[in-house]
Amino acid sequence: MDTSSPSAFVNGALLRRYIGQKVRTVIQVIGSDTGSVVGKSTDDLQIVVRGPSTTPPLTTYLEVIGIAESDNSIRAETWTNFGNTFDPQNYNELCKLASGEFKHLFI
Amino acid sequence: MFHKQSHLYKSNDMAATFAFLKDVRPFKTAWKVQVKVIHSWRQNTENTVETLELVLSDSMSKQIHAPVLNLSKVIDESNQTDSHSEFGTSSCSSGINAEIEFNLGRGRAKNTMAVNLTAEAIAKMLNGEVASENDMTPVLQVTELKMIQSKLNQNHESSNRYKITLSDGILSQQGMLNASLNSLVVQGSIQLGSILKLTRFVCNRVQTRRIVVVADVEILVEKCDIIGTCVQSGSPNEPGRSSVFDQQRSGMGSVITQQSNGCGFEQQQAKRTDLNGGRYGASAYSPQPQVVHNSPDAVRYSVSANLPQPQVVHNSSEVGRYGLPANSPQPQVAHNSSDAGRYGGANLAQPQVGYNSSDAGRYGVPASSPQRQVGQRYGTGSGYSETSPSTRPYGSSNAGYGGSRLEQPRAPPATTAYSRPVQSSYQPQPPPMYVNRGPVARNEAPPRITPISALNPYQGRWTIKVRVTCKGVLRRFSNTRGEGKLFSFDLLDSGGGEIRVTCFNDVVDQFFDQIVVGNVYLISRGSLKPAQKNFNHLHNDYEIHLDSASTIQQCYEDDPTIPRHQFHFRNVGDIENMESNSITDLIGIVSSISPSVSIMRKNQTEVLKRSLQLKDMSGRSVEFTMWGDFCNAEGQKLQMLCDSGASPVLAVKAGRISEFNGKQVSTIGSSQLFIEPDFPEARELREWYDREGRNAHFTSISREFTGAGRQEVRKVITQIKDDKLGTSEKPDWITVCATISFMKVENFCYTACPNMNGDRPCSKKVTNNGDGTWRCEKCDKSVEECDYRYILQIQLQDHTGLTWATAFQEAGEEIIGISAKDLYYIKYEHQEEEKFEDIIRSVTFSKYIFKLKIKEETYSDEQRVKATVVKAEKINYSSDTRFMLEAMDKLRTGDANSLPVKLESSNYRSDALNSGIGTSGTRDTASVDARREFGLPAANQVGQYGNQYAGPISGITSCNACGSNGHVSANCPSLMSEPQGQYTQGRYTGGGTPRQHVGGY
Repeated sequence: MDTSSPSAFVNGALLRRYIGQKVRTVIQVIGSDTGSVVGKSTDDLQIVVRGPSTTPPLTTYLEVIGIAESDNSIRAETWTNFGNTFDPQNYNELCKLASGEFKHLFI
Repeated sequence: MFHKQSHLYKSNDMAATFAFLKDVRPFKTAWKVQVKVIHSWRQNTENTVETLELVLSDSMSKQIHAPVLNLSKVIDESNQTDSHSEFGTSSCSSGINAEIEFNLGRGRAKNTMAVNLTAEAIAKMLNGEVASENDMTPVLQVTELKMIQSKLNQNHESSNRYKITLSDGILSQQGMLNASLNSLVVQGSIQLGSILKLTRFVCNRVQTRRIVVVADVEILVEKCDIIGTCVQSGSPNEPGRSSVFDQQRSGMGSVITQQSNGCGFEQQQAKRTDLNGGRYGASAYSPQPQVVHNSPDAVRYSVSANLPQPQVVHNSSEVGRYGLPANSPQPQVAHNSSDAGRYGGANLAQPQVGYNSSDAGRYGVPASSPQRQVGQRYGTGSGYSETSPSTRPYGSSNAGYGGSRLEQPRAPPATTAYSRPVQSSYQPQPPPMYVNRGPVARNEAPPRITPISALNPYQGRWTIKVRVTCKGVLRRFSNTRGEGKLFSFDLLDSGGGEIRVTCFNDVVDQFFDQIVVGNVYLISRGSLKPAQKNFNHLHNDYEIHLDSASTIQQCYEDDPTIPRHQFHFRNVGDIENMESNSITDLIGIVSSISPSVSIMRKNQTEVLKRSLQLKDMSGRSVEFTMWGDFCNAEGQKLQMLCDSGASPVLAVKAGRISEFNGKQVSTIGSSQLFIEPDFPEARELREWYDREGRNAHFTSISREFTGAGRQEVRKVITQIKDDKLGTSEKPDWITVCATISFMKVENFCYTACPNMNGDRPCSKKVTNNGDGTWRCEKCDKSVEECDYRYILQIQLQDHTGLTWATAFQEAGEEIIGISAKDLYYIKYEHQEEEKFEDIIRSVTFSKYIFKLKIKEETYSDEQRVKATVVKAEKINYSSDTRFMLEAMDKLRTGDANSLPVKLESSNYRSDALNSGIGTSGTRDTASVDARREFGLPAANQVGQYGNQYAGPISGITSCNACGSNGHVSANCPSLMSEPQGQYTQGRYTGGGTPRQHVGGY
């Protein structure tokens, strides 16, 4: 297991803290373009994910692991379909906990 | 209040100028007003004094309330309402607002000194309470004085004796003056009207009468108008008065009654008359027209312009008696129906009078008149006896008399109808007078008030004085005997006794409108029946059924000794342990209230429901549910109070405890709600709440919000041992989130009897007969094909430890996913071992939420705690995550309650659960138990759990926003802005989600 570059769980708001670092997040896909997917973060912010074009079809929810480029964009390295049923609230809470009080457990 | 010196005039006596009522003030004396009597009634006060209550109105329509204490001023109620009358009093006092009360007995007569006759002195003499001056030195007025010549010794002056009649203003008493006092009479110190204080006297009984022998007196006033019953000089009634005295045959006192029906005043002189026996006996037969036996003031009041002659009116009932044509022009003596009883008594004693001896009977009889009431009133008099006139206390006269009370609203309609027309039709008819000798069958004893607590079915006659605390609605029913209606009301008396009264059918019409909550009534006669405890929650083994002979008489004067309400408050903590469906009173602080919602009942009618939380000093809170009209009236008020930030006190009278979602209290038809009531309990509660209650933590005995889902206590496996679950009397019910770490695959099921036993299979173990049939011991039958039922032994593991548990049929299916029979066939019939193992593998190491029943069982003297799976549910990661997030949230905010806590097993009522299934001969007793549990609908158990593990104690919270469980409102999906459609709690199962990589490196 590669622990040299852990990916932080982020939601839209946390993204800016990790610019230039490896993050992972789950977005709800709003639309996709060549080379990018526009999605909504679990805290309801818009995130643009760029990267090697993905293979459709995309499910409603998508996990992305990559480098935070700005406070609303991620350069994706890994795409994972998360299905159509996903609990964004729980994930959002997880992000908050993992970047806050329990950060030491995650990163 | 009119008193003895007050004067009532007929309106045709218009000499003076009149004041307006608005000018009548306390401390103002000697005024005269011309008023119309617009309403009148009689009223019995506690001490048996009867008053006549008048509402008067003058020409400016100003109204005034005027109680008349002195019954000599009684007005004929049958006519007064349209009569113009003029009242004057010599004094009044205490006028407040629109009401002026005429003060009794404290005023002074115009031409006398301030002397008060001793109230009730005569009554006390009559009943023997006062026998001599040692008991009392009464102040009395001479109303008659007559010299009697002693026949024995005519030559001696001392043989002259004076016969005297003494009055206390209400009753009179005959007596003799001691010869030593003769000189006082001669010199005029004692004359008619003189007011004497009897300083030495003896009350003797002479035959049936009492005679007072006066040995010494103190003369207080020599000259005085006759008080209470005096005649105004110059009044047109003068002739009447003289006739009174002329008429005297027996030489006894004169008093009488008279009725001026035309004018609306009824003279209710009853009291004075009873001792004056014999006088009118003759006149009854006398052709002479003069027989007016009017008491002096009767005359005064009766004076009617329409009666040119002093003779009087006659009551219809006498017609029959005397055999006179109804319209007989013959002048006869006036007779007042209200005196019936009294005179009746006299008649018995004086048979020579010649008419029917029983007045009561006479009055009861009038052919045309359904005058039930008279008879019945007679019935109510208690303590009255023929031989002891003394038992009739002063002021009581009307207790038993219908006469003037016929008009009272409580009278049955028939009676009312009777009195008016009849009297008027015989109006000018001169009534005969009868004699009053020793009263015999009088019935005017005051209603003796029986405490409610003393009522029993073996008592014929009773009168209770009660306040109506609650009045039910009029309900109709139909049974085999036809349609009917009923209503009931609850009574409370000064002794704190409660009883319910029920009226059926006609009696409903009679009394329904009369009964007003909060009013005080005298209720007589009725039968006592065992209380119908289903409907009647009062603390009384009986209830009263009224019939047409019952009387209800309103007491217009409030009786403060009868509380308005009586509560038996229980605190919320107690209610938790009370049986459901019992009725209780409750007082608490309303901490929150929810809006009304409309509920569809089973019978397709809608009903409003509103819930609120009540907390009290027991530190517990309870959900209180209002139904129907309570939601709008009291509910709205409470809502407003709560919305404005207040925490109102709410007292609940007669709420029913129910066990829906924990203990609740809800309204029933006869419930009463009191918001911010003013009584000690409420003040105490308010004080406590302001002091400490506001910040106290409350544990609810109800589940505050209903909702499907898990409501049970979440535990971890080691807690089963650590908390010694199952070792108490009743089983413990918990849920654990655990993984199946091992499963015994041998004997995962047993062969069961498929015979239907009732609506469910027998399910006892069947044994193979060897011939392909299966035998059930219990059913004593063999069947071709047996059933297969799970009896899974599984090992559960969570992050704390391991435990064994048994899963029976339904739980087994939930775990495995297929029926036991299918699994049996896969393994044994089809020998698909691989498939079987796949199935088992797919189950082991899966995470479930298990609902467990933990109970200690005894096997061959060994105690073992058995865990039985009642329900198994594949974990829903999403909702379980929420659950954990909340637990963490609570943990972090330091709310200890979020941690799993010990069960309060005592609260749990498992009985309900055990009612169901119970058959099956499984291997051990534990399984029998378990099976029972299994057979129950899950929802049932959910409800049960809900009862117990409500509220914060469980660590499971409810969402305020959406009402569902398992999350707090902060996390409520309904409040989040995410697209809602994406998430459905039930659908997502962690394991089953497709998770596929789409791209990457």
